[in-house]
Amino acid sequence: MGAISIEKADRMFWLGRYAERVLTTLITYFDFYDEMIDGDEEAYRTFCDKIAIPDIYGSKENFQQRYLFDQEDPNSILSNMERAFDNAVVMRDELGTYTLAYIQMSLDVLKGEGGRTDAPVYDLQQVIDYLNAFWGCMDDQVEDEVCRNIIKCGKYLERLDLYMRLGYPAKAVEKEFSKFINRLHRSGLSYRKENEEKLAQIIDLGEAWTDRGEEALEALWNLF
Amino acid sequence: MYELVDHTEDINRLLARYGVKFGIYKNNEFHEQLFPFDPLPRIIPAEEFEFLDRGLSQRVTALNLFLADIYSDKKIIKDGVIPEDFVYSSKGYLPQCEGIVPPGRIYSHISGIDLVQGKDKNWYILEDNLRIPSGASYPMIARELTRRAAPSTFSRTHISDNRNYAAMLKETLDYVNTGGINVVLTPGRYNAAFFEHSYLAERSGAVLSMPQDLFVEENRLYYRQYGGKKLQVGAVYRRLSDEYLDPLTFLPQSLIGVPGIMDVYRKGNVAIVNAPGNGVADDKGIYYFVPRMIKYYLGEEAILSNAPTYLAFYEKDRSFILEHLDRLVVKDVSEAGGYGVIFGSDLTKEKLGELAKVIQAEPRRFIAQEVIDFIDLDIVEGDHAVPRKADLRAFVLAGEKTRVWPSGLTRFSRNPDSFVVNSSQGGGFKDTWVLSR
Repeated sequence: MGAISIEKADRMFWLGRYAERVLTTLITYFDFYDEMIDGDEEAYRTFCDKIAIPDIYGSKENFQQRYLFDQEDPNSILSNMERAFDNAVVMRDELGTYTLAYIQMSLDVLKGEGGRTDAPVYDLQQVIDYLNAFWGCMDDQVEDEVCRNIIKCGKYLERLDLYMRLGYPAKAVEKEFSKFINRLHRSGLSYRKENEEKLAQIIDLGEAWTDRGEEALEALWNLF
Repeated sequence: MYELVDHTEDINRLLARYGVKFGIYKNNEFHEQLFPFDPLPRIIPAEEFEFLDRGLSQRVTALNLFLADIYSDKKIIKDGVIPEDFVYSSKGYLPQCEGIVPPGRIYSHISGIDLVQGKDKNWYILEDNLRIPSGASYPMIARELTRRAAPSTFSRTHISDNRNYAAMLKETLDYVNTGGINVVLTPGRYNAAFFEHSYLAERSGAVLSMPQDLFVEENRLYYRQYGGKKLQVGAVYRRLSDEYLDPLTFLPQSLIGVPGIMDVYRKGNVAIVNAPGNGVADDKGIYYFVPRMIKYYLGEEAILSNAPTYLAFYEKDRSFILEHLDRLVVKDVSEAGGYGVIFGSDLTKEKLGELAKVIQAEPRRFIAQEVIDFIDLDIVEGDHAVPRKADLRAFVLAGEKTRVWPSGLTRFSRNPDSFVVNSSQGGGFKDTWVLSR
């Protein structure tokens, strides 16, 4: 294991979380965007409700712009990308310049042309591509296994959290839970074993896990 | 070489992709901006670099001997070569460093020496930066990118590879390392040179550390690992100023220092690169005495000349300065980064009078220099090349040997009427090619 301080471990974990939050919410956003094209004006409200962000938007047009690009909105995709960048930029020595570049470019797209276009989905596809490239590059370039495990622990925790909130099928939730636990056990991070066990029990219920959905999310949020 | 010009935008785009930026504070707000890169390099022929190499090595060797002397026997003062008051009134002189012998007896491990080439083809030293000189990372990464943009230029031309800077830095740190890991200590991401801190850590294999990652225990310095483990630190390439380094020794209100690090250093249990207290040797006033230092410590004439300089501290020089104020450049010795530099030719009669009064009231605060008519270098502006003032920051690394990096940071002014090349004042940079034959 290389030299990883408490602060660096924390930043790795949150880099994983924010990068994944941008990726998964963007992909989901595209689905809701599609629904809104067909006239479901309220679809964005469901989206806000599911990922537990306040509906400060008032209209689908406002949502389509502000949720993506508003720097003042702490829940916007851009704000989340900035947090991913803030955590990544201080880890150049661990991530490497080539890996870090994908986070930089994702942020640059969101800050640049994306905010001014009337067809943001095209520009945002680039963000998805860069983030996927980031994950691939990280696997390939980051030598320290513990570093990779911590970042991916954050990534899979965030994905599991979002999948559970967004009502993904039980199989998908189960798969992400397995990936998360695998990384958690190899990360060296300390966590509450009883919460892990409770989460495992609930997810083992298959489709019926949603009956104890709130309990499962509570266990996940209080894992650390 | 002109194929590089066609790729100017591509290269700058790649520099943006890799986050090659510097930060500035304006109205108390931090702004990060790209450091504009010009693709036309400064080219230094092999024999000219050989001359610079000898001159720079000589200068840094003498400056290291001066620092060792000032913080111990002070022979140079006792022998009347440099006035006592002049040393002790320097802001950079730190009494807390008295008697400390750093590992390897090296004080200035990484020296950034600023030079210009006059139209007479002579090189002149403008200033020495012996505290935390920055800038090496920019030509280093630019070279990597320009080689991709113009491979045939690099195949045809015999250019010394400058991408070995990180390896040279690592050798320098390893040489003085007292046992343990090397770290680059940064005050944080909102520092103007944070890109450089993180890039040099990555490339040299040192651990990028924030102050809170380090702690002192039983006269040793440690890096705090998550999970409760600790790693001993043998060399700290610190990129924060002396006054913030240790709140127990320097500024007690510093929140970005490592409490107790100076005690560990004093006991010889860690190397601090560059040594605290170096500011006494790169003071703009002490600069005046460097040729005398070279003669005193090495018994040699200085190979590289200072710009003709007058010290307001000396009455004779002061009279000369006041008489010729309208043609001289006056520098406040306590300022850096292009600030506190006043060209007499830019001032009205009234302003010249005001400046003369300040110089008379605080003579130790100012030096004055002849304005060197230094050569212009071409930069690309739109579709054509235009001449602009440019300087060179050469990097000299002192470890087992004192070596000059075969490259350097060439900074240029983007303003046609300005001699000020600092990035904080809107300047850009070029790569510096040293021909290998």
